[in-house]
Amino acid sequence: MGKKLQIDSILRPEVLVIGAGGAGLRCAVEICERRPGTSIIAVTKVYSPQKSHTAAAQGGMAAVDPKDPVDKIIYHMFDTWKGSDCSSDQNIIKKVCESAWEQILWLERHGMHFSRTEEGRIAKRPFGGHMLNFGKVKAFRACYEADRTGKGIMDTVWAESLKHGVIFLNQSVACELLFRNGRCIGAIVFMEQNGKFLAVLAKATIMATGGKTRMYQVSTNCRQNTGDGLALILQAGLPVMDLEAVQFHPTGIVGPGILASEALRGEGGILRNKDGEPFMERYAPTAKDLAPRDLVSRCIMNEIREGRGCVHPDHKLPHVWLDLRHIPEHVHRTRIQEVCGFFCKFVGVQPQHELCPVTPTAHYQMGGSPTNEFGEVQKDAQEVVPGLYACGEFAAASLHGHNRLGTNSLLELITMGQVVGERVAAYLHDAEAPGDLPQDAGSHVFSQFSRYLASRGKTHYAEIRDALRVLMMEKVGVFRNEKGLAEAIEKLKELKQMARHMKLSSRSLIMNQDLLQFWELDHLLDVSMVIAHCALARKESRGGHYREDYPERSPEFQYHTLAYMTEYGKVTLGRRPIDMSIFEARGEHYEKFGIIERKY
Amino acid sequence: MSQEYDLTLKISRYDPDTQLSWVQVYRLKAGRILRFVDLFRKINDEQDPTLAWSSSCEHGQCGTCGMKINGKPLLTCELLVENAVKFFKTQTFTVEPLTVAPVIRDLVIDMEKAYERVHFVKPHIIQPAPQHPDGDEYRISPRVLETYVEATRCINCFCCATACVTQKNYLGPNALLANIVRLMDPREMAKQERMDILYSDQGTPRCRTAQACSFVCPKEIDIAHFIALAKEGNFK
Repeated sequence: MGKKLQIDSILRPEVLVIGAGGAGLRCAVEICERRPGTSIIAVTKVYSPQKSHTAAAQGGMAAVDPKDPVDKIIYHMFDTWKGSDCSSDQNIIKKVCESAWEQILWLERHGMHFSRTEEGRIAKRPFGGHMLNFGKVKAFRACYEADRTGKGIMDTVWAESLKHGVIFLNQSVACELLFRNGRCIGAIVFMEQNGKFLAVLAKATIMATGGKTRMYQVSTNCRQNTGDGLALILQAGLPVMDLEAVQFHPTGIVGPGILASEALRGEGGILRNKDGEPFMERYAPTAKDLAPRDLVSRCIMNEIREGRGCVHPDHKLPHVWLDLRHIPEHVHRTRIQEVCGFFCKFVGVQPQHELCPVTPTAHYQMGGSPTNEFGEVQKDAQEVVPGLYACGEFAAASLHGHNRLGTNSLLELITMGQVVGERVAAYLHDAEAPGDLPQDAGSHVFSQFSRYLASRGKTHYAEIRDALRVLMMEKVGVFRNEKGLAEAIEKLKELKQMARHMKLSSRSLIMNQDLLQFWELDHLLDVSMVIAHCALARKESRGGHYREDYPERSPEFQYHTLAYMTEYGKVTLGRRPIDMSIFEARGEHYEKFGIIERKY
Repeated sequence: MSQEYDLTLKISRYDPDTQLSWVQVYRLKAGRILRFVDLFRKINDEQDPTLAWSSSCEHGQCGTCGMKINGKPLLTCELLVENAVKFFKTQTFTVEPLTVAPVIRDLVIDMEKAYERVHFVKPHIIQPAPQHPDGDEYRISPRVLETYVEATRCINCFCCATACVTQKNYLGPNALLANIVRLMDPREMAKQERMDILYSDQGTPRCRTAQACSFVCPKEIDIAHFIALAKEGNFK
């Protein structure tokens, strides 16, 4: 090797945003609107911020107009609480649901191309788990831009960021957080396109790296979602929260796992088993096909397990059918055009005339980096890390608890992005400059990369990656049990050992995707280990976390899981109480926010 | 049983460390509904981990994986082996990076350079229209939205800009489209500034109406239609 790794230069913006998707950029724009001229550097792993995975979100964004004659904000709050299986935080629910409509208007005024009603107003559609009158009938609550709502948001916040002069470091990754006396003062950034390491020293650092489900065999997440942000947090000795809560979206397109939006069922799509039976009627007589995602995913897996599923001839994967044939032609053409195109393009099926093959796919992390209601990253249940903020899917405030309702994720990234931006703008007023580069800056990442560059083993990267994905899908997937989870933890240790003996094909630092994959694999293994430990410890079933050996929710586990891992495989667990401030305030309908039954 | 194909991929390579370029030939077997991005991954896994290629969402929503396959710019995440064999009537494919920006390595281009043209047209609303008196959203009739909604579907994959017959001193179809969206958007008041961009010497006067943009667009947006509207003077 002989190649000495070093920090090439130091940048000193006021704010560093790690992850330039919807949440990160909504936050950046909020800071610029409140404090024009703030210097912001945004780091993104993709090729341009517009390519962020936010843009792949399809269905919509839930929001109740306070002037709506039928729908009420309290119904939205109730649905979110119920959907979370009583494990989201009520202070966050209140904050997010109450500011939802204002954030929709913000997007509209900044140029988002919402679909419209005949009166020219923002159109709304029903979505899973969103109901009127505390769970009685489906609500029209999701504001949408056809079936590309995420793209609408992404384009809007990206264009606004350009307007405000946010500086982007594309194809770059943050690979070590920097601290001084417990305060976060920025990060070391590796720029893939030129192979250089930069130190970015900032008064405030915002982490918004999104999801992480690439450790699952079937996943809707993009190639870049490998848990890098969570791994960074763990390396810094900070906790992650509720990682056992992984959402499996019921309708992934068989094969690549591409998301077929819940909007398809919102527009009337029906799930059928191999006998053509609309089986959701049996499991959820009221909500049927629009029951929450965790429930529908388990129902599909159950149909498959009991022999009522099909097997795809090309992908050899089990699946059920999604029937869209009865949906009117104009709806196909105007409201679900994009998604129906996926079936055509990726499995050669015409949804207007044929049944579509779907199977549950790893989709979303409800957990993440724990924050308080202002998006300040927590080091335990009481204290925050000065200078470090988090928002979007990466963060867990937590709006979703152990299960997220469709359309609440886009809502969260926009509302919490705004909240964090407001908080950071205030913090910048009298925040001290970060000072000089700490002496040991880069020591962690340089030892990591030196190790990769010195790899001369025989094991292939793909072998470990594939083994990991099958393992996580089978043992830490939709259904979990003690034996499987314990096996998964042992196997993950083995895989980590194997990863120490991989073969690196090129020692270049410039756009060396093989090298970056080594780094990503470490993160996938780290985060998988924490997921498995959290899942093993939670001996109950709640939301997306389902234990076959403990199929009921238990009052004993009425808390958030905190997990620390400073050494691989050594996971320390802690707890954070669940905020029940709506219930405790004893206002109107407070009884709906107690520990309630979750039935659809 | 699903059919397997014997494929030959002739891939353009470039090494930034030595600044050497060459074409490398890979032979592989693949099932009928594998996508071209799956083929690149297969090459990485089984033959050559050094081959660099770009992708992100891998379902046609982000526009990162655009490349030229047998000369045609397209999204490689959407190209199934079966369809490629049928369309190009061959099992041998040349794979080249898009020509809109310098190559960093192999099939990876410096996308940020390509994006400079889009940044130039200011994709945001420059001067917003006054708010609705009720304080809520601006009203846009579905009939009005319908006239430009197709253009909002653009993902800046730069396939059109690669296919375009005008390669120099031209903003290119996708950047012009971003400008046209805001010209047609009733919420944008800065129409004159946008007209100046549209009819500048890097704007529509450079278009030679070959309609290659519409022909290659992976989103099937009729880009040429929108540029034709501009040429006919439909925007005021």
